[in-house]
Amino acid sequence: MVTYVVRRLLWLPFLLLIIGLITFALGLYGPGDPVLVMMGQHANPEAAARVRHELGLDRPFLVQYADYVWKALHGDFGESLKYRGQPVGRLMAKRLTVTVQFNVVVMAVGVAVGIPLGILAALNRNNLIDYFIVLLTVAGISLPVLAIAPIAMWFLAARFHLLPSGGWDGIFSRRIIMPTLVLAIGPAAVFVRQTRANMLEVLDQDYVRTARAKGLREYTVIVAHALRNALIPLFTIFGLMLGGLVGGGIITESIFGIPGIGRLVWDAFGARDYPVIMAYTLLVAMAYTLANLFVDVCYRFVDPRIRYG
Amino acid sequence: MALLEIKGLKTRFFTEDGVVHAVNGISYDLEEGGTLGIVGESGCGKTVSVLSVMRLIPEPPGKIVGGEVLFEGRDILKMDPDDVRKVRGNRIAMVFQDPMTSLNPVLTIGRQIDEALELHMGMDKHQARQRTIELLETVGIAEAADRADDYPHQFSGGMRQRVMIAMALSCNPRVLIADEPTTALDVTIQAQIIELVKRLREDIGMAIVWITHDLGIIAGLAERVIVMYAGYIVERASVKDLYGDPRHPYTIGLLGSLPRLDETRKRRLFSMRGLPPDLIDLKPGCPFAPRCDYVIDRCWEETPPLEPVTLGHEIACWVDVKSSQPSKPAN
Repeated sequence: MVTYVVRRLLWLPFLLLIIGLITFALGLYGPGDPVLVMMGQHANPEAAARVRHELGLDRPFLVQYADYVWKALHGDFGESLKYRGQPVGRLMAKRLTVTVQFNVVVMAVGVAVGIPLGILAALNRNNLIDYFIVLLTVAGISLPVLAIAPIAMWFLAARFHLLPSGGWDGIFSRRIIMPTLVLAIGPAAVFVRQTRANMLEVLDQDYVRTARAKGLREYTVIVAHALRNALIPLFTIFGLMLGGLVGGGIITESIFGIPGIGRLVWDAFGARDYPVIMAYTLLVAMAYTLANLFVDVCYRFVDPRIRYG
Repeated sequence: MALLEIKGLKTRFFTEDGVVHAVNGISYDLEEGGTLGIVGESGCGKTVSVLSVMRLIPEPPGKIVGGEVLFEGRDILKMDPDDVRKVRGNRIAMVFQDPMTSLNPVLTIGRQIDEALELHMGMDKHQARQRTIELLETVGIAEAADRADDYPHQFSGGMRQRVMIAMALSCNPRVLIADEPTTALDVTIQAQIIELVKRLREDIGMAIVWITHDLGIIAGLAERVIVMYAGYIVERASVKDLYGDPRHPYTIGLLGSLPRLDETRKRRLFSMRGLPPDLIDLKPGCPFAPRCDYVIDRCWEETPPLEPVTLGHEIACWVDVKSSQPSKPAN
C-alpha cells in the first residue's frame, strides 16, 4: 500500500515536468506576445526589445524553461507580467483559497442532495417520484449555469430580495447561498443519475435477495447491503470533481463576482501572462493527479476486492 | 398437519411483453424432517415457486395471484411484512444457486452470518461471532475463526456455498429450501455439498426442499419428488416410483434422456423434441401436448388435473401410458 502510494507520487514530478514543458512551449511559440500586450501595438520596437531582454524572454527556449524549473523548485514561480512586481505564488494563493472554499461547498451540497435523491428515485423505480426526480435531473444537466444564474439572480435577488446576488464574504456568509445553489445543480444531477443507476443495478443482485432471505429489515437491506455497493463507482466521479476543485469557473466567478482563480487566469490568458498560466496549469495537473491517487487509496478501503501491489 | 403446505399457488409476472404465467396453481406438502425434490428444466417455475413461498418475488413485476402457503398452520401470503421477516432466514432458510454472486462482496463472511443471528436469535456481537465460527466449522471451513474476517472473494465457489449453508442453518430453521445449490459447482464439490447437507439433515432434523434439474442428485437425497413443467406439477411420486415406474410422458422423456452406468447395451440417448412453451401465451390444454408422443384430442382442450394413479403416485395426464402406445415413434 505505502509502496504503491510512494511509487505513484514518484511519477508526479516527471508528469509535471512534461506538462510544464508543453505549456511553456505553447506559450512561447504560440501567437501573442506579452510585451506587446503590455506596451500596446504601436510600441517602439527598441523599447519592446529592451523590456523583452529585461524579462529574459529573448533567451533560448530550453534555457528559459530550465531557469523556470530551477526557480520553481525553490518555490519561486516568477512575477506576473500583467501585475508587475506581484509574485505569482502570492497572487494565486489568495484567489485559490476563495475558489477552493467555494467549490468544496458546492460539491458538498451536490453530494448531499444528489445521493439521497438518487436512492429515492431508485427505490421508487418507475413511479411518479422517480419520474419527477429524473425530470429534474435532466433539466439540471441540460440547463447551463449561464442560463440559470441570471434567472436566479432576477428572481431571488432583484424581484423578491430573498438573497444577495453574489459577492464573496467567506463560506458562512449569506452571499454564498445563491452561487452555491446555482452551481450545485450540475454536480447534484450527475450524482442523482449515477446513484440511481448503480442502486437499480445493485438491487437486482443476488446478494440483495440473500439479505432479504435472511429476514433483514428493508432499511438494513438497503443501507448495509445495497447502498455501499452502489456508492463504490461514485468515487470515480467524485475524484474527477475533486481534481476540478482548484479549477475555478470563469463564468461563475464573473457572474457572481467571486474573486476566485478563474477570473485571474482568464485575464492571464488575455495578457499572455505566462508565469500565471504556467503556475495554474501545473496546479491543476497536480490537483488531478493527487485527487486520482486519493480516490484509488479510498477504493482500497471501500472495496475489499481491490488490492494494490 | 404438514409442516409446510402449499395450496394452489399461482405466480405471474406482468411484463411489457405480456403476462408470464410462471407458476400455475401448484400444491404440495412437506412433512417435518422430510426431503422433497423438485425437478424440471430451466424456466419451468421451480425457482419462482419457492421464492413465492418466501415472498421474495420482486414486486413489481411479479405478483402472487392466488393460493396459500401454510407454514405451521399460518398462511405466509397473508402475514404482514414484519411477520414474514421473522420466518425468513429463521424458520425457513434458503440457499441459492450461484454462490459467486449470492454473498455481498463488501461485507466479511462472518458479518453476513452474524447479522442473522443478531436479528433472529437476539445475540450480541460477541455471541453471534462465537456461533458463526462454530457454524463455519460445522460446514467444514478450516481455521474458521480467522476465515470469518475474510471477504467472499477470498473463498472458492465450493467454500462460498458452504458459507451460504452455514448462513441458512444459523438459526436452526425448520425448513431449508435449496435452489439448485450445486449447479454452479464442479462434480466433486457437488458431492461434498450433498454429503454435508445429508449429514446436517440428520443432526438438525430440518425438512428440505431441494430444487434441481439433475435427476441423479434427487435419487440419492429425496424421499418424494415433484416434476414441474411450464409452471404445473405434472407428476408427484416417491423417488422409487418415479424412477422405477414413471407415468407422465414428460417424466419418461426426462429419464430416457439420462445416460446410465448400468446399461450394457449401447443406445442413443433419448432427446425430447420441441421446446418448452412460452409462458406468456400459454394455450389451454395440457402444456406438454405439443411435445408429447401419447397426445390425444382431449389434451388440446383441457388441462389435466393432478390425480392419483396408485397410492402416493399422482400424474397430470389424460393418458395411461401403461395401456397406450406412443402415437408417434420416439426418435
